[in-house]
Amino acid sequence: MDKLNISKHISGQFNAELDHVRNQIMAMGGLVEEQLKDAIHLLNKADHDLIEKVIETDGKVNGFEVQIDEECTRIIAKRQPAASDLRVVMAIIKTIADLERIGDAAEKIARMVQRQNDKHNSSLASLEHLGLRATAMLREVLDAFARMDVDLAFKVHRADKKVDKEYERFIREQMTYMMEDPRSIPQILDAISVARDLERVGDRCQNIAEYVIYFVRGKDVRHLGRDEIKELL
Amino acid sequence: MITLNTDNNRETVLDLANLSAEQTALEVKNLDLYYGSKQALFDVSMKVPKGQVTAFIGPSGCGKSTLLRCINRMNDLVDICRIEGEIQLHGQNIYDKSVDVAALRRNVGMVFQRPNPFPKSIYENVVYGLRLQGIKDRRVLDEAVERSLRGAALWDEVKDRLHENAFGLSGGQQQRLVIARAIAIEPEVLLLDEPTSALDPISTLTIEELINDLKSRYTVVIVTHNMQQAARVSDQTAFMYMGNLIEYADTNTLFTTPSEKQTEDYITGRYG
Repeated sequence: MDKLNISKHISGQFNAELDHVRNQIMAMGGLVEEQLKDAIHLLNKADHDLIEKVIETDGKVNGFEVQIDEECTRIIAKRQPAASDLRVVMAIIKTIADLERIGDAAEKIARMVQRQNDKHNSSLASLEHLGLRATAMLREVLDAFARMDVDLAFKVHRADKKVDKEYERFIREQMTYMMEDPRSIPQILDAISVARDLERVGDRCQNIAEYVIYFVRGKDVRHLGRDEIKELL
Repeated sequence: MITLNTDNNRETVLDLANLSAEQTALEVKNLDLYYGSKQALFDVSMKVPKGQVTAFIGPSGCGKSTLLRCINRMNDLVDICRIEGEIQLHGQNIYDKSVDVAALRRNVGMVFQRPNPFPKSIYENVVYGLRLQGIKDRRVLDEAVERSLRGAALWDEVKDRLHENAFGLSGGQQQRLVIARAIAIEPEVLLLDEPTSALDPISTLTIEELINDLKSRYTVVIVTHNMQQAARVSDQTAFMYMGNLIEYADTNTLFTTPSEKQTEDYITGRYG
């Protein structure tokens, strides 16, 4: 588990601080994952309690972001981390920003379902599969983060392509529906906006996968193609 | 003028293993050093680039000060010390029998951990080396004093009391005076052995700023216990452990993505 010997510092206090911030980010990740799962559930069936829960969770997620940011700033100021310690802290700071935005996406879906007032939106419902894909990516990238598993991170990195493909297919499909029945356009526009958000969730998971590779291997793989990354690893 | 040392100018990162002769100030070749029967340095080889700051870091007793002292043959003063291998300055081995040690030390100046001004005036401290060389012309000496004190960022603070005793200066000022004394004789290489470990944080920052200025004219080699200091002031860093050179790389790389586990453990404060 402890591949980078995080808990092997001479300073026990530093170990404790790093451990704590890593636990915090896992807790935050778990919360966002649940929030996204709930939001996907709402696509098919409006449930008022669940809507409330998703919206409320966003406040907690935001709180986590601020708190973890503060802790990382404190670690940098007091411990002057270097090498893998520095990379972990940098990866955490970037990861929480992406997690927070994923939380925002979930909240946005919940509010949209709330606005639709129990009216069924079949376009929205057909997004469930894309949503599940994005949720799976999030779950796996959080696992990769916790276990410092570069292979899993790389797998998530590649999975984003499937999400992108599915998103494109959805857009094409919805365009034909809009042409067939212009009255459905307002509903479909809502669904397209959600689809866009879910596609972005995939991108953000891909970002987090890049941070995992960076802090474990010290290799910056942003903006590289699949084969280039494979070669680097 | 402040130039930022960022990773953007990647082309300025030197290929340390293959420095050309013009880029090299010093070359250490297969250096072994023994104190009596105990070996303190094991087959150390490295090239120190010209006009840059190179830092040696490592735990106590790793041989970094010993290696620094070899560069101006300070270890000659230790009777039981025996050296094998070479250190080349301008392609000439400084341990060659024909080398005049006094001349070598004029070329390779050194500053120690504790400021050690002579019990003389500020002025006399700076011109000490020049007087030893037999220079008597008042104008030449005056000029050297101003140039050296300016070079050591001390001129403005002491220009009105050049003839007062150097012991009246603060620790940080004394250390800069010692640096002025070292650069008065225009060496090519300046060796700094933990130059700030006896100083307060503000004086330390002044000296670090000074080191940055110095590298435009001199090749600076610094030994420091303070890793953050090595990270701040140096262009290259060498990590030593138990007499071996473990890793030698440009400072940005060494402090973010070191390639050796021992380096990683040391700079992140871990036990191996």
